[in-house]
Amino acid sequence: MRDRHLKYLLVLPAVIVVFATAIWPLVESLRLSFYEGRLSRPAFPQSFLGVENYTWAFLEEPAFWNSVWVTATYTFWTVLLTTLLALGLALLLAPGGRLRVTVQSLLIIPFAMSPALIGVSFRFMFNPEFGLFDAFFGIVFPPLATISWLSDPTLAFWVCIMADVWGWIPFLTLVLIGGLASIPRDTIEAAQVDGASGWRVLKDVTLPQLVPVLAVVLILKAIFSLKTFDQVYMLTNGGPGTATQTLSHYVYFNGLKYSQIGYSAAVAWLMVIPMIFLTYAYAKFVFQKK
Amino acid sequence: MAKVVLTNLTKRWGDFVGVDNQSLEIHDKEFLVLLGPSGCGKTTTMRMIAGLEDPTAGEIRIGDRVVNDALPKDRDIAMVFQNYGLYPHMTIYDNIAYPLKVRGTPKPEIEPRVQKAAEQVELTEFLHRKPKALSGGQRQRVALARAIVRHPQVFLMDEPLSNLDAKLRVSMRAELKHLSHMLQVTTVYVTHDQIEAMTLADRVAVMKNGRIQQLGTPDEIYNDPANLFVAGFIGSPAMNLIEGRIENGVFVTQGGFAVTKVEAPNRSGLVLGVRPEDLTIVEPGTGDFDVPVYAFENTGESVQITGQFNRQRVIAKGDRYLKREIEEMTGMSVDQKHLYLFDQSSGERIRN
Amino acid sequence: MALTGKQKKQSWNALQIVLILIAAFIMLVPIVWIAMAAFKTHVDVYQLKLFFAPTLENFKTVFQAPYHLEQKLFNSTIVAFVTVVLAIPIATCAAYSFSRFTLRGQTVLLVMILATQFVPAVVIVLPFFVMFRDIGLLDTRLGLILVNLSIVMPFAIWMIKGFIDGIPMDTEEAALVDGSTRMQVIRNIVLPMAAPGIVTAAIFCFIIGWNEFLFALILTSKDAVTLPIGLALFKAEEGDLWNLLAAAGIIIMVPMFVLALIIQKHFVQGMTMGAVR
Ligand SMILES: Nc1ncnc2c1ncn2[C@@H]1O[C@H](COP(=O)(O)OP(=O)(O)OP(=O)(O)O)[C@@H](O)[C@H]1O
Ligand SMILES: [Mg+2]
Repeated sequence: MRDRHLKYLLVLPAVIVVFATAIWPLVESLRLSFYEGRLSRPAFPQSFLGVENYTWAFLEEPAFWNSVWVTATYTFWTVLLTTLLALGLALLLAPGGRLRVTVQSLLIIPFAMSPALIGVSFRFMFNPEFGLFDAFFGIVFPPLATISWLSDPTLAFWVCIMADVWGWIPFLTLVLIGGLASIPRDTIEAAQVDGASGWRVLKDVTLPQLVPVLAVVLILKAIFSLKTFDQVYMLTNGGPGTATQTLSHYVYFNGLKYSQIGYSAAVAWLMVIPMIFLTYAYAKFVFQKK
Repeated sequence: MAKVVLTNLTKRWGDFVGVDNQSLEIHDKEFLVLLGPSGCGKTTTMRMIAGLEDPTAGEIRIGDRVVNDALPKDRDIAMVFQNYGLYPHMTIYDNIAYPLKVRGTPKPEIEPRVQKAAEQVELTEFLHRKPKALSGGQRQRVALARAIVRHPQVFLMDEPLSNLDAKLRVSMRAELKHLSHMLQVTTVYVTHDQIEAMTLADRVAVMKNGRIQQLGTPDEIYNDPANLFVAGFIGSPAMNLIEGRIENGVFVTQGGFAVTKVEAPNRSGLVLGVRPEDLTIVEPGTGDFDVPVYAFENTGESVQITGQFNRQRVIAKGDRYLKREIEEMTGMSVDQKHLYLFDQSSGERIRN
Repeated sequence: MALTGKQKKQSWNALQIVLILIAAFIMLVPIVWIAMAAFKTHVDVYQLKLFFAPTLENFKTVFQAPYHLEQKLFNSTIVAFVTVVLAIPIATCAAYSFSRFTLRGQTVLLVMILATQFVPAVVIVLPFFVMFRDIGLLDTRLGLILVNLSIVMPFAIWMIKGFIDGIPMDTEEAALVDGSTRMQVIRNIVLPMAAPGIVTAAIFCFIIGWNEFLFALILTSKDAVTLPIGLALFKAEEGDLWNLLAAAGIIIMVPMFVLALIIQKHFVQGMTMGAVR
């Protein structure tokens, strides 16, 4: 067989799978979002609502806006904190040597941990009666030791962020270490000889050259932060109240607890929109490399 | 003004010795070239002077100051890297201005100095570009400009021309020579190209396995090699090195082939060194010895004839109009004034 | 006395080491803490003990009625394994083609494959939920496998493509000139050379499938429940059974740690889908 045909034949199964498992549901979700889609009724057709699901979300649902706000602030803080801390850690670990390389290989461990389990682990640590965290404060700062972290809306939100940051730092650090390693050493040494202090070298030479990798890291983390579900579900289940209800969690709740498939699909699709921009930016970086 | 003094300088990585207990004094305003084969420790020596590598032992002085504990930025040096080390995200102007900016030079002073440096390396048209948009030779000039924009005590250059094509290398070499003459700054220059070393250097330090084999002017290095290694390393084509012994004033190879008269006492375990240009091609029977031609090469400006006796080959340089056929016998005569004798086992020069 | 440059450097280095040790500590605490809980008795777990008499009792209990974690373990293994077995060959073929040929619309296709990775799982799962309910695939391993393909495929394609990109073309071309067909080239040359990469991608996808949570939460309820969802079993009326939760946690995470350590060199490349190196 000629390569001309073979090359399409080879990608065909993959394209079919991707279409069936990802593109179709994406389109189908869009379609569902225009219908009432109550799960209590049998199958479709159900009544066509047009954009009513969307207007409902925008106009009638404070809970929707609450989730938007939670997701936005959650994304902002997790992206910011994870990136900064990971950058710091990457700079600490990049020079190599036995200790640093050992810690680098340890980094892989938290990353292989299932996010759901991270949620469980943090809920365990933040238990007010026998959690490690309160015990820790019991020693260093007793007034904080009796706080019930997960029952307070603000604190619960920050515990979620902590868990997220903890889970993602290792991966981002590894990516940034890779990025740092690809910066030509002689540019850094040239700056040292030119008279720059450690801090100036970092600011003038290292960081500017790390910008492309940092951008990739930011985008990737933003995408995953926007989608957050597993950890929050296991850690706070959106609570107390709806203080930590991310959009994914909101969709899950409306779709499956209240069987409003059409409405959830509409909200889910609203989540797709920022993703399109982020994916576009990400793809630009990937193909710019070639 | 500054001299650079290295005292018992050593660099080890575990058991591996990169630079082995070397002492060297580089005079003020001197252009010193470190020359040697790959891996002999040239870069390591230079990086220790720059402060980019900590010595395992020994002392480094720049001027009158011991700089072992000073960071690179406090050593008042400028360095040109093999791959130039240009800042890819800065324009050429900013690249050149960086050493001034980072040392807090007042703004109004920076601009004219950058302009002047750019003029000296003929880069003024490219100041607004990024390094990516320059050719190799132009990048090389940027690296030079960045070094000369300040007036450091010492220039360090690590094979600055090695990434250029052959032609550009020759012209940049001349520019470098001119520039160094103008600037009169102590310079340490690393290369493994002996022509660069010979043409640029006030003095050359020939290194091998982390040790300096000989330190001297290009002339001394070429005409008065201290040992077998230097003799064989310097010169292209390399010096003919013939193993043998002296019997009654005649140098005889292991196979009993008489090469030439030598005025020295009888002794065995010797190596005789003759530069190709000190071997003259003559008609068979009229020179010191006759050999069959193994190869005949015409380089344009001259011809090289390789002769073979036993398993020993000798190369002679001849006039460019000379012709010889392969397998043909040819005579060669040796210039008695330029013979070198070495001890075969120690490699040391034997002087009489 | 003013410090010399080198002394400053050394003290800064010492500070760095302290910071690194603190970071390593913070990184390990949540894992170690939950791992310790798995070996504590029901009583010890509520008492913050650092030193305790370890017991394996929890690991027995979780495999007994009413928890029967072995079913979930079995489901998780089957689902992750079959997903990988389906995804990898398909992805390898596509990756080879993307790597070695120029296809019409290649960039669009590749971006689309990349983009599906970024679609929120809740968007994907809703239509599947409706469809599976209608055709009876809810709470089946098969259903879960199909949906898992949606996250695993893009990773696998991009990752394997990266590995094949790294194999020089000339061996292949030499074989083609020597008279092999394209399929023979793929079988005899590309596959053996790309094998480490393909295994890496397979392990990577296995980890993703194993840790997957949202799909399993929505699409399974009893028979096809996987390990991460199984954690919910230990939320009792009177509160969470932490020692059992922890034991289940160990069973979920330890195999993945081992797999992750095997392929750690390639983790970054896989996760960023070629955007970094
Ligand atoms: N960081 C290091 N760790 C271990 N060995 C090293 C290190 N840096 C250099 N070496 C070794 O030290 C020796 C000297 O290296 P150096 O770079 O000084 O050689 P060089 O003379 O500059 O060679 P070249 O002409 O190839 O640049 C080499 O054998 C090299 O492998
Ligand atoms: Mg070198």
